Amino acid sequence: MAARRYSIAMLLGTLAIAAAPLRADERRVVQNPHFGSVLFEFYQDNYFSALTRVMTEQKFDRLAPHAEEAELLRGGILLSYGAHQEAGRIFERLIAEGAGPATRDRAWFYLAKIRYQRGYIEQAEDAIARVEGTLPGELEEERRLLHANLLMRREQYQKAVDVLQRLPPRSDWASYGRFNLGVALVRVGEREAGVKLLEALGRIRVPNEELAALKDKANVALAYAFLQENQPARAKTYLERVRLNGLMSNKALLGLGWADSALDNNERALVPWVELAHRNAVDAAVQESLLAVPYAFGKLGAYKQSLDGYETALATYTRESNRLDEAITAIREGKLVSNILRANPADEAGWFWRMQNPPDVPEARYLTQMLASHDFQEALKNYRDLRFLEQNLEHWSRQIQVYRDMVANRRQAFAERLPRVLSRERTLGLERLRAAAVARAGELARIERETDTAALADDKERELLERLERVKRALAGAPDAEAAEKFRRYRGLLAWDLSAKYGERLWEAKKELRDTERLLSEAEERRAALTQAQIDAPRTFDAFAQRIETLRAEIERMRPALAQAAQAQEHFLGELAVEELARQRERIAAYVTQARFAVAQIYDRAVRNEEVRKE
Amino acid sequence: MMKLARLLLLCCVAAMNAAVAADDETKTKGGQALDTRIQTLKKEVIELNRDLLALEEELLFPANTQVAVFLSMDVGTLFQLDSVQVKFDNGVVANYLYTDREVQALYRGGVQRLYLGNLRTGSHELVAVFTGKGPHDRDYRRGATLTFDKATGPKYIELQIRDETRSQQPEFHVKEWQ
Repeated sequence: MAARRYSIAMLLGTLAIAAAPLRADERRVVQNPHFGSVLFEFYQDNYFSALTRVMTEQKFDRLAPHAEEAELLRGGILLSYGAHQEAGRIFERLIAEGAGPATRDRAWFYLAKIRYQRGYIEQAEDAIARVEGTLPGELEEERRLLHANLLMRREQYQKAVDVLQRLPPRSDWASYGRFNLGVALVRVGEREAGVKLLEALGRIRVPNEELAALKDKANVALAYAFLQENQPARAKTYLERVRLNGLMSNKALLGLGWADSALDNNERALVPWVELAHRNAVDAAVQESLLAVPYAFGKLGAYKQSLDGYETALATYTRESNRLDEAITAIREGKLVSNILRANPADEAGWFWRMQNPPDVPEARYLTQMLASHDFQEALKNYRDLRFLEQNLEHWSRQIQVYRDMVANRRQAFAERLPRVLSRERTLGLERLRAAAVARAGELARIERETDTAALADDKERELLERLERVKRALAGAPDAEAAEKFRRYRGLLAWDLSAKYGERLWEAKKELRDTERLLSEAEERRAALTQAQIDAPRTFDAFAQRIETLRAEIERMRPALAQAAQAQEHFLGELAVEELARQRERIAAYVTQARFAVAQIYDRAVRNEEVRKE
Repeated sequence: MMKLARLLLLCCVAAMNAAVAADDETKTKGGQALDTRIQTLKKEVIELNRDLLALEEELLFPANTQVAVFLSMDVGTLFQLDSVQVKFDNGVVANYLYTDREVQALYRGGVQRLYLGNLRTGSHELVAVFTGKGPHDRDYRRGATLTFDKATGPKYIELQIRDETRSQQPEFHVKEWQ
């Protein structure tokens, strides 16, 4: 359980670091709505959408000034998604490109973590040593834990102790770290130091189920270490601290019996063992108790009960062994994974997904521990992701066909509309209009040069001018002094008027010409755009069509590859389960051998006793 | 007894190892090869999704007509968002009803891309109507308007819900991104 919690915590850490320094109760202000929209998906745990969105925004180069942070987020999501290689490349690139100190520290930490998980200890040490500042929030605790783990790998236990000492005492990370360290110390023979750490852990006040399980685990580990050292009395003190109904309770009951038996109190040993023997026979400790009970009866001289006990054990082992065979057959038929997924439906892809409900099928009873293990969960998550991606590509496969039709329709519509537009454009007679404008410009230049006020006369004035001309001609044929005087006055009056309006009229005429020229230019631009569109539009359609075909080919290439990988992964998961079941079957076979041996010994003894009696 | 003692020992070692191997990735070679293959495939599919999304956007919402409406919240304690309606030039283009999860994501600083569409160049009017619960748990309905010019580049508009601490009332702003 502790291992499971630990791996969940590691994942949580991964994503926390990705969005650092964010916590659930904190909010941040973004300076770019596109980056904000990535976070909107991320905060809803839609990791696949967040990832594809951030990458699309990167493609359009729309993430400034959050580009670095966005890349860190992408690396974090990819890491939690199991894409270590790609995530590693991202962090290395961020560092190489001179990211800011906060990003650089987080990137080094990430790299240290990836390298550690993949067993590159030296490189991990190098990376963690490059974290200069303090990481935000819980990440700093995780960094220290990682540092301690690295020191443990180097067997520098005292340094690991010092690093863990600097963690807050109530930190969950510290508890896991101390547990790992304590066990490691015991294993390498530094018992005293290891026991000290585990003892402290075995007495802590636990605020949650996770730590309660860890506490039980520490006590059981200590007890078994002391049982091995033949110190049963001390072992008992630890076992009595274990909860009766926790995950470690069966192991604790078994150990308690062995401790009493080692203290030569087999009658007392029977109490926990008999209790255990009535529990679910799937559990290894329960299976072992089935041997331990008759063993104790034998020690007490109760051979009849002992023999009965061994017979019961043998019957149970045979039953369990048969069930294991059936479970292996069921798994080989490939039902395990589909049953798990049916029992654990969820939306989007499973970056963060964990199996919560074991499937309600017989084989699951034997696989509880394996199903909860980190490796199995990771492999299952991979399988689930592959199935999700298969559905995703199925969607795109349909969609790309729609886009293909769309481009074809646009191409057709363009081809149909183009002649109509061109014909309308031709009827405008742009060249004729342009020539008229040029002539008008020439005319206005002449008017201005010659100050030809009459050329800008309006209709009424033009009529007056014509009438005056007619009068002039009439006067030339029949001179009349009075009429000539009148003519001279009217002509002067009109000339005066024309001259007074000339400036304004010339300005108006020039403005009109400018407007005409602007409209003409616009029309010419439109025509140029139309001409360009005749060249560009087919090219755009071609470019889209080509992109669509390339992407369609990629989709169709990847779909079977995904299906094959999913199938291989399903097989791999099945094999993991089968291996586990085979191990359990072997264990039962070993118990069977021992039970038969013990039965034979009892019969031997009975025969010998009979012979002695006869003699 | 010897055999039983050996079993006991195995049990003990298993108990000790379970914890140490907590994050110890011990996978079989076959499993690792498959894992690498799956990693590569995932990476390829993710990149393909990126290219497909980019194609979709360029095909359906070309840059010269593209308009996007975002929605964000600054604090948001004075207004509990239920829904929003967006109109362009008097035509409804988006009606959105929010889930708790989405509202939480907005509170934390996420920005929702509420609408992505196309508009011709020229002058346009945007009207957004927000409904929800205001101060003292009262039903609240407010509008915000923006008249803007759509040029040939893409247009990004952000609807902002803010807390006005002085008046203790929510405020609704419309911001044009350049």
